[in-house]
Amino acid sequence: MTALKLSDEIEQKIAQMWPRFPEDRVRKVLCLPVLYMASQQFGRVDEAVIRLVAERLELPPAHVRGVATFYTMIETGEVGEFHLQICTNIGCMLEGAYDVLEHCKKRLSIEKNHGTSPDGKVTVSEVECLAACGFGPVAQIAQKGKPDIPLYFEKLDEARMDQIIDALCEGRVPVELGV
Amino acid sequence: MPVAETKIVSARFDDPDAKEIDAYERSGGYRAARKAVRMDPAEIAAEVKASNLRGRGGAGFPTGVKWGFVPKDADTVYLVVNADESEPGTFKDRHILFWDPHLLIEGMICASRALRVKNAYIYMRGEMMREYQVVQRALDQAYAKGYLGRRIFGSDMDLDITIYRGAGAYICGEETALLSSLEGGRGWPRLKPPFPAVKGLFGKPTVVNNVETIANCGFIVEHGGAAFAALGTERSGGTRLLSVCGHVERPGVYEVTMQTTGRELIEEVCGGIRGGRKVKGVIPGGVSMPVLLPDELDVPFEFDALQRDERIREVEVHPGRKFDLGGGRTLRTMAGSGGVVVMDETTDMTRALWRILHFFHDESCGQCTPCREGTGWLVSVAKRIAFGAGKPGDVELLADIADGIAGNTICALGDAAAWPTLAFLTKYRDEFQAKIPKGRAAVQAPATAAGANV
Repeated sequence: MTALKLSDEIEQKIAQMWPRFPEDRVRKVLCLPVLYMASQQFGRVDEAVIRLVAERLELPPAHVRGVATFYTMIETGEVGEFHLQICTNIGCMLEGAYDVLEHCKKRLSIEKNHGTSPDGKVTVSEVECLAACGFGPVAQIAQKGKPDIPLYFEKLDEARMDQIIDALCEGRVPVELGV
Repeated sequence: MPVAETKIVSARFDDPDAKEIDAYERSGGYRAARKAVRMDPAEIAAEVKASNLRGRGGAGFPTGVKWGFVPKDADTVYLVVNADESEPGTFKDRHILFWDPHLLIEGMICASRALRVKNAYIYMRGEMMREYQVVQRALDQAYAKGYLGRRIFGSDMDLDITIYRGAGAYICGEETALLSSLEGGRGWPRLKPPFPAVKGLFGKPTVVNNVETIANCGFIVEHGGAAFAALGTERSGGTRLLSVCGHVERPGVYEVTMQTTGRELIEEVCGGIRGGRKVKGVIPGGVSMPVLLPDELDVPFEFDALQRDERIREVEVHPGRKFDLGGGRTLRTMAGSGGVVVMDETTDMTRALWRILHFFHDESCGQCTPCREGTGWLVSVAKRIAFGAGKPGDVELLADIADGIAGNTICALGDAAAWPTLAFLTKYRDEFQAKIPKGRAAVQAPATAAGANV
């Protein structure tokens, strides 16, 4: 097994942010951004990644673990290649978000919230408010090992969701449907 | 006119060019910043105080007063912009960040001058990936022009602005939790006092202000505090940016006058309730604020009126027993974060409350037992009522749990779960009671929320 190594992008981020914070605090400050980027680089943050980040930033692994498990966008569990995150909070719920969520789970043969389709391709999660309540139901998509997809998928109904799922099953993010 | 004639924070919405620094400057941008860097800091602070600008993030605290808490002899002061917008129903700051990022940067330059800040941060919620790219690009443009960095605009002032991204935690919108997160830890709120203005980021005096609050600062510097104050009411200057969602014809983000009532907002600004149906309830400022009944909508959606107007009923714990906000004060509602949620007559209020409580339970940081455990109890009782499996006495139980959380936690998240609970029960009590089967429950609450739409 080759040793894990943080990507060049993460090292660049560390170098960029370092001078913007007090020297005696910056290692801890960087814990959250580095963990988030490591979560993208490795697909998830497991014990090995926690130790890697702790070593790089000279922090106790317990601190890094505590941060990693606090934030929902730092993936600590297994997820599929695509992570479809659907808001069901009040604004989206009033527009039918639960119907959309259940439709996705049914189409992808997923039984539980935060479950993954049997082929391992798509994980579907119910998430909390994405701050786009006037355009609900809203979803966001993450691709394992890839940078942020800076799009929201708004005003979803079952037909629009079918288009999104079709694209994901083909292995691509339907960026043309996002805003 | 409910829609503001003078648009301060939404003037460039829907203009895709405004994100570019040259277009922003052509439309009058960075005039305030050029003026500010050559002003005496105390003078800017005095204008902000005179403007009656109040915090747009939730508490409505006077911004000038907050700034005044920073010790005058402090060697290092930080400015942190709270761009962690995540109170359900609220999506106004995201519009400023996306459509007019330079307006925020310009406001930050003005505020930094007033507070003698050299390092300012924007704490932006992690989900806002699109907005992060837009604001980072705007910052890069401002650095390239010498509007940020060393000796900005050729003055004696240095200023760095750095974006720090959150990673999915509602609690980080609470200002002390935000600071814990910005220091690289879990988003745990801290006890106040000490307030951040005295002991904040890295133990230094820190001002934490909402995006919209800071976005107003350029106008105040350019036109003066009196001009800003004149736009508003006696104690609340300027305009307000409201985001409206739910069952209206035209949901969206609107800059309105402080005098705009809830009914004007729904009928005139948002085109009324969809399908000609009737309104049943309106949450005026994000889901933590007490809901309003249709006959309570003729009150201006403004900080003082929503808190004090006697046309709004006082929230009760049990019929006849008013909720005590502390010191004998009662609770009507509050302006909160400007997130307006409109629910029509088809809405099942028991399910609406259940979903709101599900959120607070999910987002409790876990430090304080009343909130960590209490929000879990609230959601389980609310769920069984909403899905027809409630037990006799559940309405009273729900109210007692909420009353036990309120006021007993480090931060306001506990209150944010308790207040809507008590308000929904005060105002829709019969609907909750009617959902509870007589005698032994005939059905169990479902494990999933299938068909949970209201």
